Amino acid sequence: MSPTSPAPASWRRAVVLAPIVFAFLAVAVQVLRLSATVRDEPRLAAAEPVPAAAPRPDIVDRHGRLLAADVMAPSLFADPSLVVDPDETADKLAAVFPDLERGELRRALADRTRRFVWIKRSLSPRLAQRIHDLGLPGLAFRDEPRRTYPGVRLAGHMIGYVGIDNQGLAGLERMLDHDQRQGPLGNRGDLEPVRLSVDLGVQFGLEAELADAMARTGAKGASGVILDAVTGEIVAMASLPSVDPARPAEHLEPLRFNRVTGGVYELGSIMKMATVAMALEHRIASLDTVLDVRVPLEAGRWKIVDPHPSPRPLTVREVFIHSSNVGAGMLALQAGAERQRAFLTRLGLTDPLRLESGPVAPPTLPKYWGRAETITIAYGHGMAVSPLQFAAAAATLINGGFAVTPTLIARDRPQPRMRVVSSATSEAMRDLMRRNVTSPKGTGRRAEVAGFEIGGKTGTAEIAGRGGYDEKAVISSFLAAFPMSAPRHVVLLTLFEPKGSAETGGQIAAGATAAPATGRLISRVGPLLMAR
Amino acid sequence: MLRALQVLAIAATIASAFWVYRQSYDTRHLSAEVTAAERRVERLKSEIAVLEAERAYLARPERIEPLARMQGLRPPTPDQIQPLSATAGAAKP
Repeated sequence: MSPTSPAPASWRRAVVLAPIVFAFLAVAVQVLRLSATVRDEPRLAAAEPVPAAAPRPDIVDRHGRLLAADVMAPSLFADPSLVVDPDETADKLAAVFPDLERGELRRALADRTRRFVWIKRSLSPRLAQRIHDLGLPGLAFRDEPRRTYPGVRLAGHMIGYVGIDNQGLAGLERMLDHDQRQGPLGNRGDLEPVRLSVDLGVQFGLEAELADAMARTGAKGASGVILDAVTGEIVAMASLPSVDPARPAEHLEPLRFNRVTGGVYELGSIMKMATVAMALEHRIASLDTVLDVRVPLEAGRWKIVDPHPSPRPLTVREVFIHSSNVGAGMLALQAGAERQRAFLTRLGLTDPLRLESGPVAPPTLPKYWGRAETITIAYGHGMAVSPLQFAAAAATLINGGFAVTPTLIARDRPQPRMRVVSSATSEAMRDLMRRNVTSPKGTGRRAEVAGFEIGGKTGTAEIAGRGGYDEKAVISSFLAAFPMSAPRHVVLLTLFEPKGSAETGGQIAAGATAAPATGRLISRVGPLLMAR
Repeated sequence: MLRALQVLAIAATIASAFWVYRQSYDTRHLSAEVTAAERRVERLKSEIAVLEAERAYLARPERIEPLARMQGLRPPTPDQIQPLSATAGAAKP
């Protein structure tokens, strides 16, 4: 470079330097950019049109004890395009799973256009190991949530069951699927457990005592519900024979169907609670009003007489305690069909009820509500209702007169209360029910357990069959509440077709079957309920 | 002067190349660690679920009741229950 021309030299230098500086700047910027951005590793995300099990929330009892939970279990699938020998693979798989159809399996494995075939869902770890040890190409496992029920059969009817893809198909499990709280395919940790109002210990006590009562009386079935008299929370509810949530087929067996919420029955004399309460509420009679129950009631071509007719007129109080059909019929006739129906509606006995585990069987009401219907409904025939729905109505009658809506979900906050029956009527009903257990002539005297102040009403209803009612086939119920001075719990225990035994003195009536069973039940679960 | 600048620039380039490589390597390593940790969390969660189900199964009343009865325990009787006021009264000398 010539010193005489510095200007062109600096110009040239600038031309060379500028691209170099620019290049370095570009490198620096790229360095910064690379270090600042986080790039995800490429992941295999093949779209599989495969049904996969969705996680479900745990179901826990009111104290947080587990009733249903998800655990991960391996499911076996095949990729037919990788299966070397479909015949050998099918043979070996069929040897491990005897319930798999070999021909079908081989066809599925031989179809090389498919990339995914479920072989068997939710395996035990031991079976999965056996398949793994076969060393067959084209087979693989995929972990899926599987529902388990640690309580085995406990509260089976309530819980319901799930399908192969872990979707709820019946009972509470079905309800959970429709619940907004569950997001689509959310992380298991995101699902809050569902806390029931049920107490697992009380539930077990109920199921054990129902089984015991069935054994003692030879009944074909039994059902029971324990309800919080104020909040309507179901503390325990069971129907025997029980079902296993892990065996969906059992839920479809006719004998095992859910009698507490799935069936409606003419419950018999426990309905007299409603009849007497109606008479008191409408001031048709007081507890001391005398009714001449010696005269049979005419109802169409029927004559209503008491099974054990009283030789003298009875007061309303005695009508309740001696459980006189004629007396109840007379009270209902004085009120009339209109007011009777309205009163039952106020108690919630005529409208369909819904529970979190699904709809409760709706009450069956007579198409024509005439004189005969008015009389028979007064003592619990001619109208059928589910035991749960009746227990809720009974709770209203004794809790001071506030409406009760049964629920399976724990209610931590007090609900607004709606009065449907006066407190004076409710107080009279509590007194009547307590007397029915303490009085030596009361039909419920065998339910007495010292210390719990039990009150209750018996009901023995003949089952309507072909050609009329059958005297030998009855539904024996006992509706109890305790402690009667300020009832906290209502119990309705029902025995289906009990047979007389030596213990019951050959009797099948509720006073000899359902009442003592309820006494045993309360003495067992009462301490748990009081300590709650 | 220009020479010095060039040497410096080249050195800086090489250094930054190493630095970028280190960063990207560390990032990949960390991301693998995160994935592994996430898997471990999933596995532990699933193990916890199994253990909880197991515990609930072992604590089911159906199993506890006969064991408790073997120990001579039985359901409390009504006379074993006292209101708090009664016990407070009894505690007084």
